[in-house]
Amino acid sequence: MHIDPRSSWYPYRLVLPVLAIELVFVGVPLVIGVYYSLHKADYFQLSGFVGLANYVTVIQSPIVRESLAATAIFSVFSLAVTFGVGLALALYLERDTRLHVFARAVVLVPYTIAMLVGSMLLKWIFSRDAGFLTMALGPFGLPDASILADPNGAMAALVYNAVWRDSAFAMILLMAGLKGIDPQMYAAARVDGASAWYRFRRITLPLLRVPILITLIRLLIHFVNVLTFALILTGGGPNNATQTMGLAMYRMGFVDFRLGPANALAFLVLLFNLVLIAILLRLFRQRRGAAA
Amino acid sequence: MSWQRRALLRKSVNAAVVVAICIVALFPILWGLSTSLKPANAILEYPPQLIPAAPTLEHYRQLLTTGIHKYILNSAIVSIVTVFLCVMLAALAGYALARFSFRGKSLVLFVIVAVMSIPLPSLMVPTFTFLALLGLNNTLTGLVLLYTAYQLPLAVWVLYGYFQTIPSEFENAAMIDGYSRLQALRRVVLPLSRPGLIAAGLFTLTFAWNDFVVAVVMNSSDDARTLPVAIYNYLGFFGREWGPLTAAAMVSIVPVIVVFVVFQKYFLSGMTGGGVKG
Repeated sequence: MHIDPRSSWYPYRLVLPVLAIELVFVGVPLVIGVYYSLHKADYFQLSGFVGLANYVTVIQSPIVRESLAATAIFSVFSLAVTFGVGLALALYLERDTRLHVFARAVVLVPYTIAMLVGSMLLKWIFSRDAGFLTMALGPFGLPDASILADPNGAMAALVYNAVWRDSAFAMILLMAGLKGIDPQMYAAARVDGASAWYRFRRITLPLLRVPILITLIRLLIHFVNVLTFALILTGGGPNNATQTMGLAMYRMGFVDFRLGPANALAFLVLLFNLVLIAILLRLFRQRRGAAA
Repeated sequence: MSWQRRALLRKSVNAAVVVAICIVALFPILWGLSTSLKPANAILEYPPQLIPAAPTLEHYRQLLTTGIHKYILNSAIVSIVTVFLCVMLAALAGYALARFSFRGKSLVLFVIVAVMSIPLPSLMVPTFTFLALLGLNNTLTGLVLLYTAYQLPLAVWVLYGYFQTIPSEFENAAMIDGYSRLQALRRVVLPLSRPGLIAAGLFTLTFAWNDFVVAVVMNSSDDARTLPVAIYNYLGFFGREWGPLTAAAMVSIVPVIVVFVVFQKYFLSGMTGGGVKG
């Protein structure tokens, strides 16, 4: 086959396979999902158009409402702590000494291993059988019970899981922003006698504004949707206290096989995600504008 | 305090903080490793032994009787095929984006960044519906296609960024010597782009090896089960027998950590979305 590189079709042929795969495996499922969400579906048998009935079911469902509350609590706490820890790590480990480069790599390990495995290993630590938490907390007079059995304890464990895994992600994004700041700015401020706190407030934070916002939104998208942490670590329990929306949707679709409402919920979640993604794309454009 | 003493103090505080960070990050993994090597009766001992007094491989042997090698093989096949497919297609698209200006190019870039940002869990219900209609659920092929679709945007993005850093004079010279454009890409540009290719490949590899959410939804048959889904099933099967459970966790982790240690610097570029340094 001969392709003339000067023909104006040439670049399209090169990007076509990628676009075709995205269209078939991301685009088409979305359309089918919307179609299913408007029908009564028993397993895969569609029986009749029901309009927005599935959406009404989802919005009125107490399980979905409970899961929204759990998702909000989980996301807010995870976002705040993960971002804080990530920023602290980025500032602390930014220097390229051997010790700091090593520490950066170590912090990344929980992020690189399978999410499922990380949550499982934490579950083992938090379980009463391990005896580890009992030993560590015993001297403080805390009860000899698994913290996963208590609603607040389980939520705290879930947030801990998110922070343990994803702080490294925040660290890397923020550190890339930090490296983009001209060191001469700090040198100049130092000559003028600016304190470390002043330099942070007046140089680092303003120049890091876009990377900070990008980090916050990418973390938020992840936390709002993630289901592995809750599925493995707490199983959504006790008493649905940690059943986040991702997990509720998973169960509606793949445990109860209610594909109509599950697709309706999936579409609502996708709309919410698209709002966040739209903000993210704007920020990317700003970053590129700032770099140019 | 003299400045030497202050410097020494500073150094030791620094080292202590780094040690604390490492302990928090690694403890769950090391504790799992320790548990996986203890004989069953030592696992629940109180106070727990931090380092197993009499290490044993019995839990790993037990996993072999459940056929874990089959699941490892499935995961390896899916991961490797996905990497090749993904990097090959991404190289073509990344090259077109880096070298040509064409109508709709910014739309292509927009699609790529948008798909990259869509969180997978929100896609699973409709995707399962679609894959089941195609009859591709419960197959490794289905997983390869989905993983490729999910990782292509990132791979294109990384390679697009990398190709831009390579001067086009090299290919132009090769094409004057009679290479076609694709030959020039394969023989000239790609060999110069090793760091970019490695970064794109690594990200795809760890994604495919680690993925649980997509695989658990799409594949329920034993023949098409990948390692993370097998581990999830072990959680139900072994219940509170943490010996085989932690051993299975180690089987999943060790290859990732080896790859990570060898290729560490390439990982970072994928996470920030581009900008690999050679």
